[in-house]
Amino acid sequence: MTEASIALPPQTPFSQRIKKSLFATPLDCLLTLICAFFFTYIIYLFVDWAFLSSIWRADDEPLCKEAGGACWSVIDARHRIIFFGLFPFEEHWRSTLACAVMIVTFIASCVPWFWTTMKLSALWIAGFATFYILMHGGLFGLSVITPERWGGLALTLFIFAAVSIIGMPLSIVLALGRRSKLPVIAKMFGLFIDFFRSLPLLTILFTAAVITPFVLPGWLQGDKLYRVIVGFAIFFAAYQAENIRAGLQAIPSGQDEAGLTLGLNYMQRVTRIQLPQAFRNSLPAVVNQFVITFKETSIVTIVGFFEILASGSAAFGTGQWTVHYIEVYVFIGAIYFVFVFSLSRYGAYLERKLRVGHG
Amino acid sequence: MADQSEPNVIAVTMKAVNKWYDDFHVLKDIDFQVADGEKVVVCGPSGSGKSTLIRCICKLEDHQKGTINVLGTELNDNVANIDEIRREVGMVFQQFNLFPHMTVLENCTLALTLVRKKSRKEAEAIAMQFLEKVRIPEQSTKYPGELSGGQQQRVAIARSLCMNPKILLFDEPTSALDPEMISEVLDVMVALAEEGMTMVCVTHEMGFARRVADRVIFMDAGEIVEQNTPFEFFENPTNERTKLFLSQILQH
Repeated sequence: MTEASIALPPQTPFSQRIKKSLFATPLDCLLTLICAFFFTYIIYLFVDWAFLSSIWRADDEPLCKEAGGACWSVIDARHRIIFFGLFPFEEHWRSTLACAVMIVTFIASCVPWFWTTMKLSALWIAGFATFYILMHGGLFGLSVITPERWGGLALTLFIFAAVSIIGMPLSIVLALGRRSKLPVIAKMFGLFIDFFRSLPLLTILFTAAVITPFVLPGWLQGDKLYRVIVGFAIFFAAYQAENIRAGLQAIPSGQDEAGLTLGLNYMQRVTRIQLPQAFRNSLPAVVNQFVITFKETSIVTIVGFFEILASGSAAFGTGQWTVHYIEVYVFIGAIYFVFVFSLSRYGAYLERKLRVGHG
Repeated sequence: MADQSEPNVIAVTMKAVNKWYDDFHVLKDIDFQVADGEKVVVCGPSGSGKSTLIRCICKLEDHQKGTINVLGTELNDNVANIDEIRREVGMVFQQFNLFPHMTVLENCTLALTLVRKKSRKEAEAIAMQFLEKVRIPEQSTKYPGELSGGQQQRVAIARSLCMNPKILLFDEPTSALDPEMISEVLDVMVALAEEGMTMVCVTHEMGFARRVADRVIFMDAGEIVEQNTPFEFFENPTNERTKLFLSQILQH
């Protein structure tokens, strides 16, 4: 028996499918051609602006007026401000290395080999410790650089990672608490979640940065950056908890009963039966929340931190560069895109992987 | 009625058990005993409380009045007692309730490693032994979603057996299955019965009841209406409600 004898659905050739969907009637032909022309023209305009008619080197900035394309000189000249903010110039290598460490930690934690509580915890503790020592200094002969001088990409990554690392476990606790069988506990967690969900992020950040120092005793205050991160993490957790709770609600009650009759205790049922299924159920929403959070890190500008967007504004804020804000924003947009798009793709990969055995 | 010369060791005793779902009185003064090694089939119309009865035995449901004693341990709010009983009582569900994110083998080894504290190797050996017993060892690396209903239910039985239960409860184990898959599950249950497992089965498989049951119990509206040996139960039912029920399920 040859393979060809196995019955397969009839295949339509590619050219015929194109013809059927794009050129079936004269009107279709017309619309297809108009759209094709339009999109090609837009793409040509962008490519021409960004690559063909653009100026690349910082020294060539005077040519920019005649060139008519993008003036990437501003990036060449000012990229250090975008990436490092107010971080001392001669220590930029530390910030670069710190970013690299954080990105490697992100990527490593996406690899299934690391997916045990022990390995993930070890990875993130090591990642954070290295990042912190590099950025803050004070050890191994590195000079001390306090968090108010951190900035740029390193600060954005640090805030995102710290918010995720604090917020994610907190969100699981909140979701489980809200589903508690004890009405008092469930109500309390519900109230907590709804309280923080009904406040704008800005209010929470302001409160954390400005008001808490008047309320909290000195030893509990910590640096402004850490207070802002904790506030942000609670906000993140309140939203993420609802996503995870939705995933928990979708699990049939028989799953928990099966665990009960096998003699598993509460923690074993939660970690082995409920959470793995809840994550699979709520993955699109959970990834969505991470994406939103990555972009919302830009809001910390308001309370005086120079994350990448604010650093970008500083980059074109002086001298001859003030006219080149479009180039700077496109550049920062591209950086955001790389991170957020990777995050979305990773989410899609996880969905495929976790769909195993579910048809 | 178990009519044997030696007094049996009692596995389950329920005395004057009452249970309500809100105002609905689902179990009314249930007095019920299962001897060690006995096979009891519980039948009755939908909503008669038969599932609730066996779910009370492993504390998936709370009872509000009366006492339940399982293998000499009183089933009350004492968590240590509940854990003790759940370790000795296995349950097979209508909807199988396999863990969809784990392979067949992982489903079976989970409680062995976590509750019985076996090493992974030991646990896998035990699991394979019981998967062979339910004649499905070749599917051990598959996920439940890749198996037929009958295969899933056999895995669920193997998963319960791995914990070496003294009593096995079956809650309508074949009701969610396509007709051609019922017999493969019943065959496994018959084999278990022949080995002397103590079993309480809620089922409408009357052929199974005739073949393996020591006693058949008929429940209606939260009460045990009639109980007898399978022969007497099917040939000479005394209660009108039993007669009506039997005529309804046996008329085909």
